[in-house]
Amino acid sequence: MRAEYLIKRVFYSVLVFFITVGITFAVLRQIPRSYPGLDKSVIAQYFVYIYNVLQGDWGYSQGVPVLGLIWEKLYWSLIILVPAISLSLLIGILVGAHFGWKRGSKMDASVLNVMMFTRAIPPYWWAIMFILIFSFHLDLFPLGGYMSISALDRGISYSDILYHSALPIITLTVYSIPGTYYLMRNSMLLTVGEDYILTARAKGLSEKYVLFKHVLKNAMLPMVTMIPLECAYLIAGNIFIEIIFSWPGIGLLTFDAIAAKDFSLLQGIVLIDALLIIIANFSADLFYSHIDPRIKVGGGNV
Amino acid sequence: MSVLEIIDLKTWFQTQDGLVKAVNSVNLRIEKNERVGLVGETGCGKTVLSFSIIRLLQPTTMIEGKILYKSKDILKLSEREMQKIRGKEIAMILQNPTTALNPVLKVGDQIAEAIWLHQGLKKKEAKEKAVEMLEAVKIPLAEKRANEYPHQFSGGMKERALIAIGLACCTSLIIADEPTRGLDVTTKAQIIKLMKDMTKQRSMLFITHDLEVAAEICDNIAMMYAGELVEYAKTDDVFKNPLHPYTQGIFNSLPNRGLKPIKGMSPSLIDLPSGCRFYQRCDYAREICKNRHPEMVEMENGHFVRCLLYD
Repeated sequence: MRAEYLIKRVFYSVLVFFITVGITFAVLRQIPRSYPGLDKSVIAQYFVYIYNVLQGDWGYSQGVPVLGLIWEKLYWSLIILVPAISLSLLIGILVGAHFGWKRGSKMDASVLNVMMFTRAIPPYWWAIMFILIFSFHLDLFPLGGYMSISALDRGISYSDILYHSALPIITLTVYSIPGTYYLMRNSMLLTVGEDYILTARAKGLSEKYVLFKHVLKNAMLPMVTMIPLECAYLIAGNIFIEIIFSWPGIGLLTFDAIAAKDFSLLQGIVLIDALLIIIANFSADLFYSHIDPRIKVGGGNV
Repeated sequence: MSVLEIIDLKTWFQTQDGLVKAVNSVNLRIEKNERVGLVGETGCGKTVLSFSIIRLLQPTTMIEGKILYKSKDILKLSEREMQKIRGKEIAMILQNPTTALNPVLKVGDQIAEAIWLHQGLKKKEAKEKAVEMLEAVKIPLAEKRANEYPHQFSGGMKERALIAIGLACCTSLIIADEPTRGLDVTTKAQIIKLMKDMTKQRSMLFITHDLEVAAEICDNIAMMYAGELVEYAKTDDVFKNPLHPYTQGIFNSLPNRGLKPIKGMSPSLIDLPSGCRFYQRCDYAREICKNRHPEMVEMENGHFVRCLLYD
């Protein structure tokens, strides 16, 4: 049963990937330019394109292979994205769980308002404000970039990269905490009202036990499905952050590609973003099947 | 000494639409090994009454009066003291078996945690006892079933599992809230028999809207209408000689007694009439019933009724 579920998920992931490839192919074909197999029919061009993509030949951007370029930039993006996503999930879930459990308090209402305010403001405004306050006025962080000039002499050091990445990470984290928080709080509110929580309390279990054993495990379920969506949201939000902080990642690359009308590169970026989101979705599905027993026996009967 | 004595209990709570007076001056006594059926239609306050006893209502709920459990007023206990009573002394079997079990925990563990908590057993021993409980409620292959999740159980089996949770710690008082709700006729009959067998050495408050189910199980029946008790008597007396027009109306609405529904709707618990609460629907209503609220009076040996016809 478990294997069947797995195979299904793999099949859907691959399907989504091919649909994405098809769409990028169709959209970018509308732009007049030259690409491999232009002299053949549309169908043939599509297959040539897919064949090339699977071969790792994603086209060239100013003479440089697109895939190699993207890999290199992706690495820099992940330096910001991974800590930002982990931190925002951790903080968002903890704060959301806490106030979902202690709902209705004055503190709960004020935190909710602060979170809504934070989310309502676009990430680039936060980025500019943070640079203004923490870098310009307080001089705690650099204004942008990914390493100090001194690195030219002494070489790149981890601490220098950390120093440069701190503010972008903080900005992205601040921006993405509210989404997680809001969903977790809501999920808690729904779970606390469930009948099985009453059953648990009627057994005489302590509040702490009810919270950890009965409420949290159920309240976390929707979070797992939400995480890949949040990742997708962050990858998009990251474009602004990277532009403002001059961080040499995928976001900045996207901006440059658009500015230079470099369509092979754009096509490659769209594909890699889609791939990342598909992988995130797939891992969420796997993880979900681990924590929700209703999925395990899965197959057709659930 | 009675196991439970409810004295002049009022449970009110605020909603967006207004103050809901769900339980109004209810007096009820349950003796040792006595099974009392609390019968009334949906929304008459039965469930709120049961949650008042086990104190699992929202903290903002106003509860007045006394609930004496073995002469101790449980409304005065701290939350921690109350936790020692829940599941050990007073257990509750909730309605709606499909939602009352935690979907992500194994059924066996859900029974075992109550045993482990109250009897100080090791987790493994508690699990063994949980399997015994599942056997006691007649679930086949109990050992295998204990390691399954609620969604792998049928509706009837979930209800059995809930009963097993309720009875796991040899509690002295069981509150069962419509345990036969949503079950098909055969399963219902099995559950009724099981409830009857399993509660022989225990006191029980059995909540239902079904008089016939209550008659199967209970020694005494309390009729509840619009937040108050309107009739209380031995089951036989209620069946032979129903006094309150509401009880009579319920009997007349039974399929084998004419299937004649009571006219109208029960009043909203937010806006209760000042006189008799059954006035608008009563065939015997007189002018005096409109403004005078009747008191509970004892007619004959232990048969109480709240109606001005007997005043």
